[in-house]
Amino acid sequence: MKISGSQRLPFPPDQSYALMQDPEALARAIPGCESLEQTGENEYRMKMKMALAAFSGAFEGKVRISEQQPPSSFRLDVEGSGKIGFVKGGGVLKLEPSETETVVNYDGDVQVGGTIAAVGQRLIEGAAKSMIQRFFEKLAAS
Amino acid sequence: MATTITRPKTLIGKAIRRREDPRLITGTATYVEDIKMPGMHYAVVVRSPHAAAKIRSIDTSKAAARPGVVAIFTGQDVSKVGPVPCGASLPGLRVPNHTILATDRVYYAGHPVAVVVATDRYIAADAADDVEVDWEVLKAVADPLKALEPGAPAVHPQWPDNKAFDFHQEHGDIDKAFAEADVIVKQRILSQRLIPTPMETRGVVAEWRAADRALNLYSSTQIPHLLRSMVAQMLGLEENRLRVVAPEVGGGFGCKLNVYAEEALMGFVAMKINKPVKWIETRRENYLTTIHGRGHVDDYELSAKRDGTITGIKLRIIQDLGAYHQLLTPAIPTLSVLMMPGLYKTQNIFADIVGVFTNCVPTDAYRGAGRPEATHGIERMVDILAAELKMDPAEIRLKNFVQPNEFPFPTATGLIYDSGDYAAPLKKALDIAEYEKLRREQSESRKQGRLMGIGMSAYGEICAFGPSPATPAGGWESATVKIEPSGKVTVLTGTSPHGQGEETTFAQIAADELGVDIDDVLVVHGDTALVQYGIGTFGSRATAVGGTAVYFALQDLKAKIKKFGAMLLNSDDVTLANGQCIDNKTGASKSVQEIAAASYRAMQLPPNTEPGMVSTHFWEPPNFTFPFGAHLVVTEVDRDTGAVKVVRYIAVDDCGNILNPLIVTGQVHGGVAQGIGQALYEQAVYDEAGQLITGELMDYAVPKAHMLPWIESDHTVTPTPVNPLGVKGVGEAGTIGCSPAVVNSVVDALSPLGVKHIDMPMTPEKIWKLIRSAQ
Repeated sequence: MKISGSQRLPFPPDQSYALMQDPEALARAIPGCESLEQTGENEYRMKMKMALAAFSGAFEGKVRISEQQPPSSFRLDVEGSGKIGFVKGGGVLKLEPSETETVVNYDGDVQVGGTIAAVGQRLIEGAAKSMIQRFFEKLAAS
Repeated sequence: MATTITRPKTLIGKAIRRREDPRLITGTATYVEDIKMPGMHYAVVVRSPHAAAKIRSIDTSKAAARPGVVAIFTGQDVSKVGPVPCGASLPGLRVPNHTILATDRVYYAGHPVAVVVATDRYIAADAADDVEVDWEVLKAVADPLKALEPGAPAVHPQWPDNKAFDFHQEHGDIDKAFAEADVIVKQRILSQRLIPTPMETRGVVAEWRAADRALNLYSSTQIPHLLRSMVAQMLGLEENRLRVVAPEVGGGFGCKLNVYAEEALMGFVAMKINKPVKWIETRRENYLTTIHGRGHVDDYELSAKRDGTITGIKLRIIQDLGAYHQLLTPAIPTLSVLMMPGLYKTQNIFADIVGVFTNCVPTDAYRGAGRPEATHGIERMVDILAAELKMDPAEIRLKNFVQPNEFPFPTATGLIYDSGDYAAPLKKALDIAEYEKLRREQSESRKQGRLMGIGMSAYGEICAFGPSPATPAGGWESATVKIEPSGKVTVLTGTSPHGQGEETTFAQIAADELGVDIDDVLVVHGDTALVQYGIGTFGSRATAVGGTAVYFALQDLKAKIKKFGAMLLNSDDVTLANGQCIDNKTGASKSVQEIAAASYRAMQLPPNTEPGMVSTHFWEPPNFTFPFGAHLVVTEVDRDTGAVKVVRYIAVDDCGNILNPLIVTGQVHGGVAQGIGQALYEQAVYDEAGQLITGELMDYAVPKAHMLPWIESDHTVTPTPVNPLGVKGVGEAGTIGCSPAVVNSVVDALSPLGVKHIDMPMTPEKIWKLIRSAQ
């Protein structure tokens, strides 16, 4: 499933870029994130809780940042699995200045499996969009 | 000399209410889930979330540490259990080794990899979540067309072309037919994957009685005896040490005509832990792991003369088999080939089947099993031909039907149609619909810009499975009829029902033949310890084959009653009528009950006659039966939303003699509901990675009552000469006749927009897009 869109951060691009590479800021901003610990260069182990319709469950997974071109773009790959299935996704985030702010355009693919695929596929797009929005709202507030 | 007087039938043909219904509608029936045993343990199966993956390792330590967990078994632990059987054989068929738990690799999402057993079902479910499998995810292929492309991921690495088999059949001179044709029409027609969705999911209780070396297996199955034979073999247990009980079975529609991994697995678990164990399939498991139906991509070509005479049929079937062969998986599309000429005369056919492996749950028999696909195809093609020739769809059918004086009729596919008057139900349906008037209404409504459609199908089907040489496991059926010393009658049938109402119809047969009260007759089924061997309930065979076995057992018993009656009456000329054995000379009589009591008391025996009043008959049918009928459907399509409304549904079915019109009508209604489900709503959808995304009832649209029309059900009656009851079978008729009639109707509605074909399901979205693209 393709997921794309754009969000705004009320900071200039270099500050926005730095924020999105900062594990502590990310941990605070990712909805349901319980821990984000660095396991290597640009690699993190993440624990998060996710709820989708009637399902909620803990996910454990990896986050990897690559193709970094500060302050204009980077690639983010996320892979997680838990009792209700697995999620695998990746995409490129592009940062563009807009006056004093930053517009973040994202474009990626998400694949889900297990119970969440069987029962929640039609809800995932909406859920992903709202999670992304919450993520940027929290990031903006940091 | 004994003579026979034909007794007026009192029960056959009457709308007797189903005797099984009170317990069903009051919630007092016993399903597998209702079985309680001291010390019961509960099993939950750990399943793959991936459609294709290698298993690097399985860590059960965390799950095993959970209090209440008794045992966990993985593929290595069950390596001695035999594979899930495939009963179908085709030349060159590739049969993957279908172990009951995956060992090193999984082939579809939902593939069982381990079983967790605990003292409580919730503990078992939580512990199943604790089982950690290290997966190496592989590329999967879920679409049969993509699976056939070069370079597609191999479902089974040893067969990179993903082909399980090629099958070919032809008859007549197809090249000549096509070379000399005035018109040739072609169309690709899909019969989508469907999920059978019985109300009761599968479930198994296994109880190992170690002291007796006996395994009791309770399973929601259509085939208790075949299941016993095959599970005994899988477990390496002597067959007479295994008892299979099918208690109340809450629907099957073919999906319980099977042997599943969990049935052997629970037997294995019970024997290992020496405690009874219960496994009840959840609805999500049911959707992921119980067989699906259909899954056809059919390419049709019809050759015809200008006057509408069909001269030849070409068909190429691509069958989505899924990852494995379940019991009959590869055989199902061969039934489509057998049925491909429909009710039409043509002797020139050419058929190819390619059976394709995909990373999906296997397909297998679902209500109609191969015949709905074939009927949908030929009935769509006949309409397409009629449109091409600008002929009326009723006229072209009437022109091509096998005629009443041509029976028994050998078809191009090797069948012998038993009896029929194919025009009769079609003409009756046209009469009921007031067809001419309806067409006038249609042309009026078109002038107003409305999208009204009239569609029909004339279907035939293969029922009463079947002669043993034509079936994988024997096609006969058995019955024992006992008159107990008290005069009560017990019928033991090998055709174990799951909603067919045999406790009523078989009691009607017995009560009528013996002249006893129907309430004195008990029909017993579904227990291999009680019932002599049997084949089971599928392929619209219960009454036509199982009921006939009951009938013949009763004839033997009646002869014996007369022998005892003649002895007791000291007569050589007796008649059995209305439950009395009557001396034709004196008028003196003895009741069946008195005679039964005397036969057990055995103070005196007729010459060469054993005591008791028990008879067993195994009946081998000489042929299939071939019911037929016509369905006519009026639809109206909403131009703005694309929604299809079925305005009228007329079903005229000929299933031979009707024993109980209430049950026959019920079968038609249920069949039509599932046919409309396929035509308008249902589709099992896998994404590209092999994830089933219609994994629950929120996403898989089984029609609810308000989504179904009033069904005007009527009949013509053409008895079959194949069995003495003259019955043909009706379990699948509704489904088979339905989907082409609905699609033909909607295509007719949209024909002013230039629409020539629509594939199922005809969802509002699909129809709306068609309307929009036409504008």
